[in-house]
Amino acid sequence: MARTTKQLRILAPHSFREHLSRRAFLRAGTATAGLVVVAAAGGGSDDSSGGESGGGEASGDYSRVINTATGTLAMYTWGDYNDPELVGALAESELGVSMKVDYYASNEDLITKLATSGGASGFDIVVPTGPYIPQMIEKGLLQKFDKSLIPNMSNVDANYLGQAWDPGNEYSVCKNWGTTGYFYDSTKFSKELATWQDFLDACMGEGSGNCSMLDTAPNMCGVWFWANGYSWNTEDPAALDACETFLVDDFAQHVKAFDSYPSTAFAEGAYSIGMAWNGDARQAYTRIADAGGNPDDWKWVLGAPATELWMDNYCIPVGAPNPEAAHAWINWDLVPEISIKDLSYHGYHTGMKDMPTLISELAPDLERGDMIFFGDDQVKTMETQVITPTLDRLIDIFNKMKAKAGA
Amino acid sequence: MNASTAIGPRRRWRSPRYLLALPSIVWYATFFALPIAFVVAYSFGVKDSSRRIPVDFSAPSWASYSAVFDETFFVTFRGTLRIAVLATAICVLIGLPVAYYAAFKASEKWRAVILAAVVVPSFTSFLIRTVAWRIPLAPNGTLSKWLIDLGAVGEDGIQILATPTAVQIAIVYNYLGFMILPLFVALDRIDVRMREASKDLGAGRVATFFGVTVPLAGPGIAAGVLLTFIPMCGDYVVAVVLGGAKGNMIGAMIASQFSGAQNWPLGAAMAVLMIVAVLLSLVVGALAVWVVPRLARLATPVSERVRRAIADRARREAEVRRARPAPTAARTTGDPLGPWLAGWTALVLLFLFVPILLVILHSFNATTSFTIWSGRVSTKWWGELFDGPGVVALLVRGALIVAAALLVRRVLVRRTQMPARALGWLGIVGFVLAVVVNGALTEWFRTVFDFPSVGDAIRNSFMAATGATVLAVMLGGTSGVALARRPGVWTKPFMLVVFLILVTPEIMDAIALATWFPRLSEVPVVGYVFANGWGPFNGGMNKLWVGQSLYASAVVTLIVRARLSGLDESLEEAAADLGAPPARAFRQITLPLVAPALVAGGLLSFALCLDNAVISTLISEAGSTTFPVALLGATKSTIKPFWGVGAVMLFVITLAALWFVARVLRRSGDSAGQIAATLAGS
Repeated sequence: MARTTKQLRILAPHSFREHLSRRAFLRAGTATAGLVVVAAAGGGSDDSSGGESGGGEASGDYSRVINTATGTLAMYTWGDYNDPELVGALAESELGVSMKVDYYASNEDLITKLATSGGASGFDIVVPTGPYIPQMIEKGLLQKFDKSLIPNMSNVDANYLGQAWDPGNEYSVCKNWGTTGYFYDSTKFSKELATWQDFLDACMGEGSGNCSMLDTAPNMCGVWFWANGYSWNTEDPAALDACETFLVDDFAQHVKAFDSYPSTAFAEGAYSIGMAWNGDARQAYTRIADAGGNPDDWKWVLGAPATELWMDNYCIPVGAPNPEAAHAWINWDLVPEISIKDLSYHGYHTGMKDMPTLISELAPDLERGDMIFFGDDQVKTMETQVITPTLDRLIDIFNKMKAKAGA
Repeated sequence: MNASTAIGPRRRWRSPRYLLALPSIVWYATFFALPIAFVVAYSFGVKDSSRRIPVDFSAPSWASYSAVFDETFFVTFRGTLRIAVLATAICVLIGLPVAYYAAFKASEKWRAVILAAVVVPSFTSFLIRTVAWRIPLAPNGTLSKWLIDLGAVGEDGIQILATPTAVQIAIVYNYLGFMILPLFVALDRIDVRMREASKDLGAGRVATFFGVTVPLAGPGIAAGVLLTFIPMCGDYVVAVVLGGAKGNMIGAMIASQFSGAQNWPLGAAMAVLMIVAVLLSLVVGALAVWVVPRLARLATPVSERVRRAIADRARREAEVRRARPAPTAARTTGDPLGPWLAGWTALVLLFLFVPILLVILHSFNATTSFTIWSGRVSTKWWGELFDGPGVVALLVRGALIVAAALLVRRVLVRRTQMPARALGWLGIVGFVLAVVVNGALTEWFRTVFDFPSVGDAIRNSFMAATGATVLAVMLGGTSGVALARRPGVWTKPFMLVVFLILVTPEIMDAIALATWFPRLSEVPVVGYVFANGWGPFNGGMNKLWVGQSLYASAVVTLIVRARLSGLDESLEEAAADLGAPPARAFRQITLPLVAPALVAGGLLSFALCLDNAVISTLISEAGSTTFPVALLGATKSTIKPFWGVGAVMLFVITLAALWFVARVLRRSGDSAGQIAATLAGS
């Protein structure tokens, strides 16, 4: 029974993916949703302990299997990316594992670390961004899940399963996803900004010398591609040349900093405008208030007409000392109550199915939900990155731009 | 057995001159030369992202080198050089008056205080001190708001954060101590009589300073310049934390090639060229140092004439004055410069402590970001980090054990005739026991923390730095003695390697070692240690010891060598003449002579290892993450105030450990003055 439901859960989104391409829709078509709910109901009644109808449990059919494990569990992840209680005291009491958490700053850092250590890095869970997963599989850095140990994967919205980089979710499952936009102090700009083109103009105008850019080559070049109607995965040499000319010759001199997490610096007053991930920009509001500023002066703009969709995924590296605990943790973080607790902390969409109901029941006080959850029309404008040999060119443009900005 | 008796007439085996340096030679060959050779080889390959080590060797070429020779590299390198040269010069200008004051004007007591105050800041985490500079520099910060109110700056506040100026300030701050110490030591060695003689011969204050003091302090200035300029060139943490687009440094660029771009060939080529460029700039600097005095000597006749004219005029004025009856009590005994120098010294020390005070203050911050002050003091993050009952239990356990040890000592003093020296160790043993029982080597101590990662990081930092320091002192001590006492053909190549270790950018060492350990894991015994660890120490900890020991042992080598070449060899020769075998002469004569250098080098190593972030990040494993590694990872996102709490804890524990070392040293008879005098090793 469990086995068949699992196949249903995985296969349904996979087949639909053909129609939907990579773009993820917030709400699935009724047919998919119905199928998944039925499947989950079947699996759920078998596996879950059932008697946990304590306070703060969401309604709806969710699998809530909690497998315990022993020993220590080492997670290598992005900075400040899980509720400290979940990776601390609760992991200890609920799962029986004591956790060690370390941080990396980029997917490349993660890959370098795993690749150089030859499978002896000692980490049990890593959190790469989707497009990097194929090369990690190719280099033999990731091991396949034992999916019988992750029954709660059925709680994930079908649209966030079966992504291009891992169609069968054999190596990865969505931890959370987000997007890119920008954030600016409206008192410093005379007009309202709405698109990437507005952003570029503002940086070269009133925000010159006071703007920050994300410190990654694809996003940096992406701004120009999106503003000019290209896909950020374009391999068109003419577009790449035009992008380089603009960024290096016209734009670089206006940039104050390359900063992937500018929320604190916004509050410190270091930049008046900057690119930001949605969750980081959301945290900036709190920081600005902390620093005695007026949060209402600041505006978040989702990149337009197009922008990115990135998804960070739980994976288990080859050579993980405690894969049992790794599976237990991943499965546990897919329990809706746990997932929403994590979401409330970091402010990124965790991909749980029927998210609006979950939020209204579990976290009704969540502020600025519009920076976490996006409507269908917005999600339609988001595109995930595809890693091609063009990445080298993008990095080259980025380095030239950095040198120009620093001159 | 037979083989040895078959040699015939028994000839006394003469040890090779490099025997004492042999451990270091093996160590550097295994963990520096060979791994680095691989990275240098990568520079001739081609990037290939599909491999684990992303380099394709099938068609070796110079392509990466010609790729480096574009504008990008040189623009960034020029910026780095500008920052490093300027920062070194500022360090000399700021540090010289302080060293001068400490060496000549301050009383014995104040001298110790000043030196301690210069050293102590380097025992707080380098990273957190750098991050702390964001606090006063923030345009929306408290300082900025005051200055706006005063009208000192414009409406937008201080515009320093994310500019090269911010990097410049923090770099001067971070390396000032490494400049002041060698300067002090050099000045302190100057015979006061030289200066007096100069004054007696009619030279004025300025003439004495430039004519006598500066030339004699030359070696100290040179040592200070080397100790600051070289690491500044490779630094990239400061630029990452404070720099912004215009404060980019070459170290960051090389690191981004290795990590971000996965372009190892280009990164390796850049690193090789950077090493060459830094060495070249040192040669240029050395040439300047060689040329300037000679130019100055050419100018001597002129200055001589000027000076004679001034002296003549002074004599005439004095004769005129003598002709008149002068008030006798007018002559002041005090030095008019003294208060100015004292004031300057106080200012500099304040400068050194401001970030630390800010770290302590901000650990009591209520907001979710370390650098943003909430406006009120709160113990929130201390409470979040620690489990109250756990802390109490730990403190009680520790106090009980120390109290028991002291009680035993008391009883023993009354009842037995044990020598006081032996009894003196009891307190220390109790302290060690308290630390061990409280779980320093096990997982026990984790119960104290609600957020154990910070606790793990502090513990691992401590273990890694201690082990690496022990290694560095052993390696550097032996090779330093060998360099000073048994020089030979081996000396020059060995010194070259030591120098290369100091100049190689950390990220290159990091890549070299990180790819080296998996290769080593197939070697029996040695490989086992790094793959599986031994005792309570996992493989990652063993790797950290190796990685951190390289730079530290090079520093110790230089300090020990400097110490010994400053002392003449007659004592050791006398011992040999009196028939002491070499081992005994070493133990009883040489070792006590170098002891202060070992202690000084050990302290410096400990501070360096405690702060090591770049190498450690790449070679540490899940269970061996150190504080700087954890913090560097967090730096890229938001730094929560509990990192400040952790830094304060680490600082307090380090000071306690230093106090402990000082106690032990006092029992074995080293004077603090001697240690300070060798600390900078010039």
